[in-house]
Amino acid sequence: MIKLKAVLALTLGCLLTLSVQAVEVRDHHKEVIGKDCKTCHDNGIKQFPSDQSCLQCHDVDDLAEQTARNEEDKWQNPHNNLHYGKELPCQECHGEHQPKQPMCNNCHTFKFDKHKQ
Amino acid sequence: MKDANLLGRRNFIKGMGAAAGVAIAAPAMAISEKADGVKWDKEVEVLIIGSGFAGLAAAIEASRKGAKDVHIFEKMSYFGGNSAINGGLFAAPGTPMQKQEGVKDSVDRMVADQMKSGRGVADEALLRHVAEHAVEALQMTMDAGSEFHPYLQQLGGHSVARTYQTTVSCGAGITQPLLNECRKLGVHTHNRAKFEGFLVGDKGEIVGVKMRENYHFGEDQPGKISHIRAKRGVIMATGGFAQNINLRMAQDPTLTAEVGCTNAPGATGEGMYEMFRLGAIPVHLAHIQSGPWASPDEGGFGYVSNYTIYNFPHSLAIHRLTGKRFMNEIADRKTRADAELSCRDEKGEALPPILITSYKDSKKHPNTKKVIKYNVGWKFDTIEELAKHFEVPLKPLKAQIEEYNSYVKSGDDKQFGKNMTKAKDKFIEAPFTVVRLWPKVHYCQGGVQITTKAEVKDSFTGQPISGLYAAGEVCGGIHGVSRLGSCSIPECMVMGMTAARSVMQA
Repeated sequence: MIKLKAVLALTLGCLLTLSVQAVEVRDHHKEVIGKDCKTCHDNGIKQFPSDQSCLQCHDVDDLAEQTARNEEDKWQNPHNNLHYGKELPCQECHGEHQPKQPMCNNCHTFKFDKHKQ
Repeated sequence: MKDANLLGRRNFIKGMGAAAGVAIAAPAMAISEKADGVKWDKEVEVLIIGSGFAGLAAAIEASRKGAKDVHIFEKMSYFGGNSAINGGLFAAPGTPMQKQEGVKDSVDRMVADQMKSGRGVADEALLRHVAEHAVEALQMTMDAGSEFHPYLQQLGGHSVARTYQTTVSCGAGITQPLLNECRKLGVHTHNRAKFEGFLVGDKGEIVGVKMRENYHFGEDQPGKISHIRAKRGVIMATGGFAQNINLRMAQDPTLTAEVGCTNAPGATGEGMYEMFRLGAIPVHLAHIQSGPWASPDEGGFGYVSNYTIYNFPHSLAIHRLTGKRFMNEIADRKTRADAELSCRDEKGEALPPILITSYKDSKKHPNTKKVIKYNVGWKFDTIEELAKHFEVPLKPLKAQIEEYNSYVKSGDDKQFGKNMTKAKDKFIEAPFTVVRLWPKVHYCQGGVQITTKAEVKDSFTGQPISGLYAAGEVCGGIHGVSRLGSCSIPECMVMGMTAARSVMQA
């Protein structure tokens, strides 16, 4: 019985680690990640969150302002870029359970020093 | 030197290719079924698959022709397909800017240039149809708010300057306004919706499609299948297959994972192959074009491509081993790509050639600053510095530049017969800007055969498959062996508009 409990604890521990530790948790996500999965997984736990999920808390215009670049490079703003405007879904560049690269890197050598996976 | 970069980049792409291969294999295979007894989840009037130039133009035209319920389905999470990341170059004959610049051009002349590049197997009727309606399509982009550079360009293989380019030097300067226009007109746009096969009626006509919703490209997740009836018809605007390494190698084994690609990741071809399974006629699949203006120092289309397209007419391309020219810098794409691939060192290893331009001329293109800033191109004050950096023998290089400058003066290129019109008075002088060249897989000339009404033809009957239309790169045979630069956007837009007109008349 004790053994079983230990296995269970270990399994649960692993699950929790899986969801929390995979990437460095952003401070503002500590409240939700690993506690209530449905906060983000609005399409069901086994499906990816919807593209609108992140927008429950984040505002695209604010994000665009935070990552704005100067006039010459204005279209390199990942949150308001030349190719897709403000419509690029968050999950293209950000993941909570797996690291991701900025999508621009497919074709460009831009640096995004503050990019958090 | 940055040769290590070339290899690094290629290995990176190889890794990507392998990863994508695994991911694509995971979801259930697309396959068409009889529509008998299907429970319809939704019914729409006009159903368009793909959101690039062709899909967007089709949606706008269908709406203008009176369709009230037009739907665009896009597999990726974002709209615009490959159209959102290309060079935004638009060729048309008899445009206002040609009149202004005194360029004599005509539908016949543009078709003749394309027939030549197509090496005898291009489809003249389709080329003519596109050329005749190209100005109309250009107008559609302007009406939606696209803005263009105030000058014309003469691209490789064109006998005159007839190419417009968006002010952002990218197709997004067209897709973004067209997408906005679609929304203004009330077109419904659905992202993360993957086409999974046709639903076929009793007489072999297309009555609808299966669509996987909540689809995440390259990820393993179930999503949900829905059956959608299309009252008037289905327009396939799903693009090419340049990103599908298995499929492109099946056609041309030299296009391995080691060859880069300029396309958006979604260009994987399953819409086209599903039409073949249905009975569509495959044309020219093995004619896959590489862009000779790409750089090994960045991924995809990047910044260099537009820089070189603009600068080729007044630049020289140099083989680094000999210090001499090796091609006509404005020959058609295939001629140049083949010439570049032949640039190798003594051991046969790839030795990307360099393109040398006078800074005074290159700086007129908005990308020049960025190319230097993002370290994918370089500026040199002297020829000695340049030669040292790229390990080019100095003496022959100096002699070559002198010789080339005499052609600029005489207007007659005795080495390669380059059309020197756009090089007039543009002598190669310090300071210089330089980029490295290496081809990347860019465009699939092959695809399904269509009529000039954008109907998809059946292999056995030779008749159009009822209810099915196709437009853009998914169609084949139009350009033949090699497509001329800036001729895809007019084709996509015109055939998208044509498909919409046909669907509304059917």
